[in-house]
Amino acid sequence: MTVRAVGKNTLFSELPRLRALLPVLTWRDLRVRYKQSLLGVGWAVLLPFSMMLLFTFVFTRAIDGASLLGVKMPYPLYAFAGLVPWTFFSSSLSNCVNSLVANRNLVTKVYFPREVFPLSCVASALVDFVIAMTVMIGLMAYFHFRGDWPFTPTRALLFLPVVLIVQIALTVGLGMILAMANLFYRDVRQLFAVVIQLWMFVSAVVVPLPRDDSFWANVFALNPLIPIITAYRDCLLNGHFPDGGGFSYAGLVALLFLIFGWISFRRAAFRFAECI
Amino acid sequence: MGGSVVTFSHVCKRFRLRETNDTLRDLLAHGIRRLRGRTKHEGPSSFWALDDVDFEVARGQAVGIIGPNGAGKSTALKLLAGILRPDRGELLVEGRLAALIEVGAGFHGDLTGRENVFLNGAILGMTPAEVRRKLDAIVSFAGIEKFLDMPVKRYSSGMYARLGFSIAAHVEPEVLLVDEVLSVGDAVFRLRCLERMRKLVQDGTTLVFVTHDLDQVRSICRRTIVLELGRIAYQGPTRDAVGQYMSAMSRAFADRPSDLHVQSHDRHGSVELLDLRWLDADFAEIVWLRPQQEIRAELSLRLARPIRSMVVELNMRAAVEEPLLSFNSGRVGRMFGGDAGLYRLTLTLPALPLSGGQYFWNARIWDAVNGATLLDTPFRYPMVVNDGGKATGRLCLDHHWTLESTEAKTSTPQSQGEMAAGGVIGENLSIR
Repeated sequence: MTVRAVGKNTLFSELPRLRALLPVLTWRDLRVRYKQSLLGVGWAVLLPFSMMLLFTFVFTRAIDGASLLGVKMPYPLYAFAGLVPWTFFSSSLSNCVNSLVANRNLVTKVYFPREVFPLSCVASALVDFVIAMTVMIGLMAYFHFRGDWPFTPTRALLFLPVVLIVQIALTVGLGMILAMANLFYRDVRQLFAVVIQLWMFVSAVVVPLPRDDSFWANVFALNPLIPIITAYRDCLLNGHFPDGGGFSYAGLVALLFLIFGWISFRRAAFRFAECI
Repeated sequence: MGGSVVTFSHVCKRFRLRETNDTLRDLLAHGIRRLRGRTKHEGPSSFWALDDVDFEVARGQAVGIIGPNGAGKSTALKLLAGILRPDRGELLVEGRLAALIEVGAGFHGDLTGRENVFLNGAILGMTPAEVRRKLDAIVSFAGIEKFLDMPVKRYSSGMYARLGFSIAAHVEPEVLLVDEVLSVGDAVFRLRCLERMRKLVQDGTTLVFVTHDLDQVRSICRRTIVLELGRIAYQGPTRDAVGQYMSAMSRAFADRPSDLHVQSHDRHGSVELLDLRWLDADFAEIVWLRPQQEIRAELSLRLARPIRSMVVELNMRAAVEEPLLSFNSGRVGRMFGGDAGLYRLTLTLPALPLSGGQYFWNARIWDAVNGATLLDTPFRYPMVVNDGGKATGRLCLDHHWTLESTEAKTSTPQSQGEMAAGGVIGENLSIR
């Protein structure tokens, strides 16, 4: 029998509890999200798909911008390959922001490692991501058989899990920071809603970014999501490995966010119940 | 104590009184004020919810924590559960711990009863396999078999609470913390919960039980801690602790008479209750009542207008919402009337054979002519009875016991033991 000093748990000692709870809370998030909804999990597909149709219309019909964008592949493919990882990123974070505050009852009445809340948000968005990815395969097949963009399997496909892991690390790190910050200052949620809208347009999700040497182009280039989203397209659609320098940078940033986010979350966790 | 499972050593916990900076705007404003050196001092910014609290609980022991509101009972439990962290001192817990701070915390309204059992079970530390094994027991204890697949948002509050308690009661922890959760549900379920807790303790679970209900403490815990303003006022055998707590309560009443005898401005305005006091046979105010003591209630009334005839009623109930006593002047044919002015109305009662505890009174006055309500106060006039821990339940009656043999071979009783309430069992008592 172990004697436990209350309130001095380490991440290591709480890992089993975290592992046991994560699937349950992820299941709860998914279950609640798709309960009492006619389409259910269909929304995981419908959301990025309708966005893809919207942007396809905007950039190929409404304004004559497709040539300007310098996109070589069919635009729907380009947009969908960006929108699926983007949706994973943005919906993870927007759930994370509110995750501690929305579970106030649990935070103040039961103890378990608080990391479960942001982690389960990312995990449930990951399930949606996987579902949407199957539609991606369908879309690729469509353009393959039409001959617009033939698909040839390469070894670069094996690199996809690495891209996903880097994205998850970045999302978890940011998600923990956001969840914690919103618990102390509710402004964070409002601010986040604005920032995430802007962020999409500087992340090469639906429009590639200018590659000139202007000041803003250099600032946007710091965005770690650009190499990540580009890496999905490179591995999946272009059949080659992502640019080494850019992707390593994204990996490094993701790792730093994960470490910094998790450590600061841990250090603040014991104040959650009284500050919420 | 070598075998202590829960150790609280010199634990202090401080809370901020004012709201912390909740929006960035506040933080900025605060920062600017500080830069300008204009920090406002608005009295103490924090208070000690627990101040140097020190106790231990041995394995398999059931310990109660009682005390008035704001004494730090729930804070102590939340510290033990790990929800809060102490500012000073150390807490040690040995073995698997489950805390029931609020029944059904973590239930999700959209999920069915069954789904919530799995969710809540996991939150309280059970594995899915464990929940599956215990599902039937949990559901039948809560008595919600028929509603298992209905979303809990459609549950009645009783069903909700029953399911919540039932899950926690089946976690089989080594240390169980329970905070004032048995005030929900009906009387039968409350009894079953107490029964279950008693069984858990018998089977070796260590229990820390926070409650306001002195009967519940008496029925489960052998040892009890009285907390008062964040400090331990007493710890020891439950019987003594309860007595200690009750006399502390009556002292608090005596110290703050202004709090007690609040003027009652009734919305009807024609009768005002200025004061309600309890006096003994010698017309001295009673600090605390003994069960076998004659008492009178003295009501100071002001009539704002002449009233020809009115009926007065005094009602009493215990902390729970059940009415216990009621004295209505109309039923004994007494009506009162008078011109506008000040009056003293006295009700003389025989000794009230009540068990120890806190009781609350209200007063109602009707116009006997047209039945209009003239005064109706809330149940806020307290009365504290100290029976020295002789009785549980609501009443403490004079009684005595005898034992005699009924076998034919002896014509005279061989032995007889007698006791008055609270007396010592006769030492010559022998059963053959």
